[in-house]
Amino acid sequence: MARKGKKPGSFSVSRRDFLKTAGVVSAVTAAASPTEAEAQAAAVRGVGPGEVPVRLMVNGKRLDLMIEPRVTLLDALRMRADMTGNKRVCDRGTCGACTMIVDGRPVYSCSTLAIECQGKTVRNIDGLAAGTALHPVQQAFCDKDALMCGFCTPGFIMASVALLEKTPNPTPEQIRKGLDGNICRCGTFSRIMEAVSSVKGVTRG
Amino acid sequence: MADFRDEQGRGGQAPPPPPADPKYAWLPKQGVIGTSIKRLDGPEKVTGRAKYTFDIARPGMLYGRIVRSPYPHARIRAVDLSAAQKAPGVKAAIVWRDPANAQRNTVMFQGDEVAGVAADTEEHAIDAARLVKVDYEVLPHITLVDQVLTGSAPAVFQDGNVRQGAVQETGDLAAGFKQAAQTIEETYSTHVITHVCLESHGTVCEWEGDRLTAWVSTQGVNAAREGLATGLGIPQPNVRVITQYMGGGFGSKMGPGAEGLICAKLAQEAKAPVKLMVDRKEEHLATGNRPSATARIKAGVSADGVLTAFDAETWGTGGAGAAAGFPLPYIYLPPNRRRTHKDVYINTGQQRPMRAPGHPQGSFITEVLMEELADKIKMDPIEFRIKNLPPEAPNAMWATYLRQGAAEFGWNKRHPTGDTTAGPIKTGMGVAINTWGGGGRGPTQVRCEISSDGVVVVKCGTQDLGTGTRTLVAVVAAETLGLSPAMIRPEIGDTMYGVAGASGGSTTAAGVSPAVRIATFNALEALKAKVAPALGVEATALVASNGRIQVKDNASKGLSWADACKQIGPQPISVEGNWQPGLSSVTTSGVQFAEVSVDIETGIVKVNRVLAIQDCGLIVSRLTAESQVYGGVIGSLNFALFEDRILDRNTGQMVNPNMEWYLLAGMSDVPRIDVRLIDQPERGVIGIGEPPTVSTAAAITCAVRNAIGVTVRSLPLTPAKILQTLAQQRRA
Repeated sequence: MARKGKKPGSFSVSRRDFLKTAGVVSAVTAAASPTEAEAQAAAVRGVGPGEVPVRLMVNGKRLDLMIEPRVTLLDALRMRADMTGNKRVCDRGTCGACTMIVDGRPVYSCSTLAIECQGKTVRNIDGLAAGTALHPVQQAFCDKDALMCGFCTPGFIMASVALLEKTPNPTPEQIRKGLDGNICRCGTFSRIMEAVSSVKGVTRG
Repeated sequence: MADFRDEQGRGGQAPPPPPADPKYAWLPKQGVIGTSIKRLDGPEKVTGRAKYTFDIARPGMLYGRIVRSPYPHARIRAVDLSAAQKAPGVKAAIVWRDPANAQRNTVMFQGDEVAGVAADTEEHAIDAARLVKVDYEVLPHITLVDQVLTGSAPAVFQDGNVRQGAVQETGDLAAGFKQAAQTIEETYSTHVITHVCLESHGTVCEWEGDRLTAWVSTQGVNAAREGLATGLGIPQPNVRVITQYMGGGFGSKMGPGAEGLICAKLAQEAKAPVKLMVDRKEEHLATGNRPSATARIKAGVSADGVLTAFDAETWGTGGAGAAAGFPLPYIYLPPNRRRTHKDVYINTGQQRPMRAPGHPQGSFITEVLMEELADKIKMDPIEFRIKNLPPEAPNAMWATYLRQGAAEFGWNKRHPTGDTTAGPIKTGMGVAINTWGGGGRGPTQVRCEISSDGVVVVKCGTQDLGTGTRTLVAVVAAETLGLSPAMIRPEIGDTMYGVAGASGGSTTAAGVSPAVRIATFNALEALKAKVAPALGVEATALVASNGRIQVKDNASKGLSWADACKQIGPQPISVEGNWQPGLSSVTTSGVQFAEVSVDIETGIVKVNRVLAIQDCGLIVSRLTAESQVYGGVIGSLNFALFEDRILDRNTGQMVNPNMEWYLLAGMSDVPRIDVRLIDQPERGVIGIGEPPTVSTAAAITCAVRNAIGVTVRSLPLTPAKILQTLAQQRRA
């Protein structure tokens, strides 16, 4: 659908658009330009399979880990840094419970290798609140009861923050599209809609 | 009062409960009860600080992994752990099946447990599990219910592939059909879906000598303790189960499961704590599902719209050796009826209770039939339903809600079956009703402690599945003590806090609320006795109100909560309460309306709006009660349109054990939902977890029929099925 009208030569762009339309924009890890991607591939080549040093910048703090190159960003932070806020649910880039913000864009951290995030800034739910003061999106989720079991909630909040930082006053349609890459099983969607609609004044963090 | 209970006692007006000690009665005018209190653990959950079982980390903790059968039916000749034991980081490996024991050497479904390993990292555990060599003797299996019904299935199950139920018969069927002006003979069916708990099933087990501490993702800490102790052959008091936060259960987490026992055994062998959470594929295959349901029905209706006869042959599958029952007919009870049911066994994981077990199936089959019968005699579907309902009673308010809902929803704008508007988009409206028992039960122990610093702790061995139990405990305690809920510290989710039931069947709110009421009432009595001498009044003259202990109607003669509690002294007040009848009730009624648009070129069904009218007795926490209804409606929408466990008919393998091909609604699929909770404070507390998820699927299907003019008699309403049904109609 989304590829209608695109020129054949613009495949990479239309594929990205397609993913967006399908609601899995945050799965995109291949967003880098070809040269960046090549440089990244060169840096990774020949590393592992045993543990290697990986340096991450998470919530503004440096994190040095020894991990196998196959370890995902999600698992690295959950199991090696005790940042367990974001959850692993589908483990295949579908449900969005693992959504983190990498270089300003929402990504599925279950489908992103930690080693690929070197040199990038990573933000997850564990670092979103400023001390005891909740981020406006977190506060809105509490106020509107936009959570039940709470397992999808960290991912929904990170996706909402990414959306609001890019689009501070989203239309209902923009909210729906922005959060279509996340799944809730308890059925909190109606109240998530209320919560995100109520948030005002989010600036890029 | 009317009694419309069926043979199983479902959906009826139970006798009113004997009154509890009248002093415990709910206050006629509530303060905080029934208001919209924010969920107490919201901040913990939105910051990621809430620690679920999946998040627990213990010193030296290992990661467990289960080796599962790839075959739907096989005998295990041998299991060789040696390669796995030598793999990097492996600390324990166990065989779960016993090849030498004929009772324990057969796997009955894809994903059945065979062995377990534990290693220092999860990656190493996954690697090691792949190295376990299992010698399988593959046996014939059954994938399809039809294979069994047509007699072409191999003999797989010891006592036969079918369990035939007894015939249930009431009235005179032949006479009923004679009275009928119109009859229908059709087959209706619903499919198998899985629970898809976002937090998968799993456990963290830590031994200290012969004592086990287990963090379990469970709906019942006490039930999980019993399951672990029994499975491991140790005394129950040796096991402590903790579930502070739980990522969804929907009926599938009532015990520790094989995965919990394997985790405990691995931890025992490794002499180290082990975390074992199953992965998404395992979750689909082995941790429960909602059984299928099929009904071949002949039904008769008189010219003036009275159901005269109902004859049904029904079956369903709950997998390998499990039952698949459901109530039928649902709520409407024709005087002359007969039903025969059989459970059909196939080689898949066993069913487990799933949110209102049996009711969504019974509701779908009955309501779609009702819709067809109404058309046969050219009667409005709502009037037809009302004509056949049991008499109205506090727990059977459908007629009232149907009329109320029709007015609000704009039912008068509904067109007759089949939208004649030009163009491919057809719209339609549908309706369906629901009921559920619920109700409270004991023992539900609650302990209330008030210390001299004014802190109030309320302890109960219940658990919060995301339903809001923690908040409900605080609201009831706050109401009784005249405080705000934020001043109450609920402590739940731990077997150390006493005995309470598992959270299933919408029993938690109605079980816990009375017990909290009684415990906190008793604590207040003890506090009044301490305060009375300081004020120079009789304890009976005192009340708790607005954060003060004071003489009734005389705020000046009293003490603030903090000053009152200073009278307690070094020994805190610590009293118990237990559930008593009279503060809770059973059975709810509800009605749901749906409006849909169907694109007859693509077959895509879009739900535009849903109206849900639901009663649940005394509403304790309005915000979380409403959330239950939103969630129930969305769950049922998933059942109607998206979810489907798809099996490969040749191999017996599930082809979509994931979340990209096992579909669930996203934000864009969720309609506008209007929730109308009906207050019935005089009935006491009744649970609301299940009833709202019963009838949305049926209402949607009736709306689709109203839109396209063709009846789809099976779920899910996939685009392919809509197009196929339309094509069949064109051919006919």
